Amino acid sequence: MFSRKYFLDPIDLQYKRVKLAWKGKLVRFILFTAGGIAVTILYTSVFNSMFGAPKEKALKQDIENLRLKYSILEMSIDNALFTLGDLELSDGNRYRPVLEMDSVPASIRKMGMGGVSRYDELEGYDNTPLLLSTRRKVDEIKNRATVQLESFRAIEAQKDEWKRQMEYLPMISPVNVIYRLGDGLKFREKHPVLGTPQWHHGQDFSTPHGTEVYATGSGTVIDAGWNGGFGNCVVIDHGYGFRTTYGHLSSIKVSKGLNVKRGDLIGLSGSTGTSSGPHLHYQIDLFGQHKNPLYYFNNDLSEDEYFDMIQTLTSHSSLR
Amino acid sequence: MRKPKYKFNPESLSFDKIRLGVRDILLRTLAILIGTVIVAVVFNLLYGIFFDTPKEKSLKREIEQLSLQYDIVHREMANLEKVIEHLQETDDNLYRTIFGAEPIQSTQRQGGIGGVNRYDELEGYNNSKLVIETARRLDGIRKKVYVQSKSFDELILLSREKEDMLRSIPAIIPISTKDLTRIASGFGLRIHPIYKISKFHAGMDFTAPLGSEIYASGDGTVESVNSGKRGMGNYIVINHGFGYTSVYAHLDSFAVRTGQKVHRGDVIGYVGDTGLSIAPHLHYEILLNGQHVDPVNYFFNDLSAAEYEEMIEIASKTGQSFD
Repeated sequence: MFSRKYFLDPIDLQYKRVKLAWKGKLVRFILFTAGGIAVTILYTSVFNSMFGAPKEKALKQDIENLRLKYSILEMSIDNALFTLGDLELSDGNRYRPVLEMDSVPASIRKMGMGGVSRYDELEGYDNTPLLLSTRRKVDEIKNRATVQLESFRAIEAQKDEWKRQMEYLPMISPVNVIYRLGDGLKFREKHPVLGTPQWHHGQDFSTPHGTEVYATGSGTVIDAGWNGGFGNCVVIDHGYGFRTTYGHLSSIKVSKGLNVKRGDLIGLSGSTGTSSGPHLHYQIDLFGQHKNPLYYFNNDLSEDEYFDMIQTLTSHSSLR
Repeated sequence: MRKPKYKFNPESLSFDKIRLGVRDILLRTLAILIGTVIVAVVFNLLYGIFFDTPKEKSLKREIEQLSLQYDIVHREMANLEKVIEHLQETDDNLYRTIFGAEPIQSTQRQGGIGGVNRYDELEGYNNSKLVIETARRLDGIRKKVYVQSKSFDELILLSREKEDMLRSIPAIIPISTKDLTRIASGFGLRIHPIYKISKFHAGMDFTAPLGSEIYASGDGTVESVNSGKRGMGNYIVINHGFGYTSVYAHLDSFAVRTGQKVHRGDVIGYVGDTGLSIAPHLHYEILLNGQHVDPVNYFFNDLSAAEYEEMIEIASKTGQSFD
């Protein structure tokens, strides 16, 4: 492309081709390279100051993308934290009061949180706050979930016990609610048969002969048969210190050692033993102390509802 | 300074001096410029392949740490989600067995947490940030709408009722509750916990630990303070006037006497387990002109519209009373 260049040699006045020695070529190459680097630095710095370094930009974009991923993760984390809070409220406000358990102390709930920083490897980055808050939240979730797991386990155990207790304690009327209540737990100046002053340790129900008598709570029959003044008598041990006695029965439908459920038919009322007429004597003892049976049932059912209840209670299984 | 250069002219067979015109100079400058730019780019690329600037190095380190931590946290969260899901199931089961009803979750929980990848579908788009932000903002707006509607309700109420009547009507939840988890049973037909049959429940039950404070739900006079071991156990009746009476039952102890004037929010007694009850709880009734009414309709004072709706749902669904 370039035409050949000549120069005038002043000595012999001839035109000669311009030629470079290898030394000259080397000097030229070095000069060219140095100039190139200088120019490169100049151009790069000008370009960077105007548009930013492309490689850095790409890296920063990567970081931006990562931050976005974190913010998405953060939404899941916050969601989990919210759910945990909800479960903790459920635990403290619903189950523990019902089961009469103490609430989990805040100190245990906060176990392992705060304190000395255990995240040294996360220090020293532009995004250290982000990394720290994410890790802290996850650790918080871990701790709180562990506590909640334990707490629910305790509630589960207590719940079964509570349900069992509800089933075993005497809590209904032993006969249909239509029958009039006779003498209650009180000191009687004059026993209707013996005529002497005596304590009456239970509640009487004035029932016609042959009225069905039901177990007032689940338990084991520990006595079924003749029992002196009580005549034909059934005693049920409900556990938790509770015993109920049903006296003056005309017939007994259970035998000693049988496990009964609340609502099971245990006998028919009558007037056996020291009795002036057909009635049921119902007695509740707690660790040997006589309790007022009136406090252990409510007269808030109609005759039909009572019948319905007995049906429902015994529908799944009768005598066990 | 420079030696003049010549070029051979083949037509005249003579050597002509090389003279540079303006155009030639311009062309040359342009060529140099382009050449140097090409050289600069080549140098830059070569340098970039073999070396990182310190800033790039620190950025790379940061990216590495961020990705590493992301993976750790992501994996951990996946595990934790499973744990929490298990907890939720346990919670539901406990609710079913203790309250005899299907559990109701708060609105936020209703969606379920659904795993870490719930928002993954938002990822990968250029405008992900925009989408997420928009979703968040939408939530905010929704909340504002609730608040707005609540304030409208208040306005309507204020315009309709006289001030002292507003003070007297039983209008707050009689127990400390920042959330609705204390509602155990609503008004209406419920399964009786002992009888196991449907029975009309004339009030609302709230669960609370023994000894929790009970508040008068409106201004009024204590009509009676009753101690008993049957039925409602220890209970208080407050006459609010305007035909309203409220009843608080199964109390452990009392903080007021018969005839005492009380204001809304005054402590009148403490939660107990007296009378026929299977667990410590407060049984709360409202009577209007001697007729039982559903207390759920009277809690407008301390609930937002959203909470109010949630409460109505809880109260309507809860299937078993506690006495």
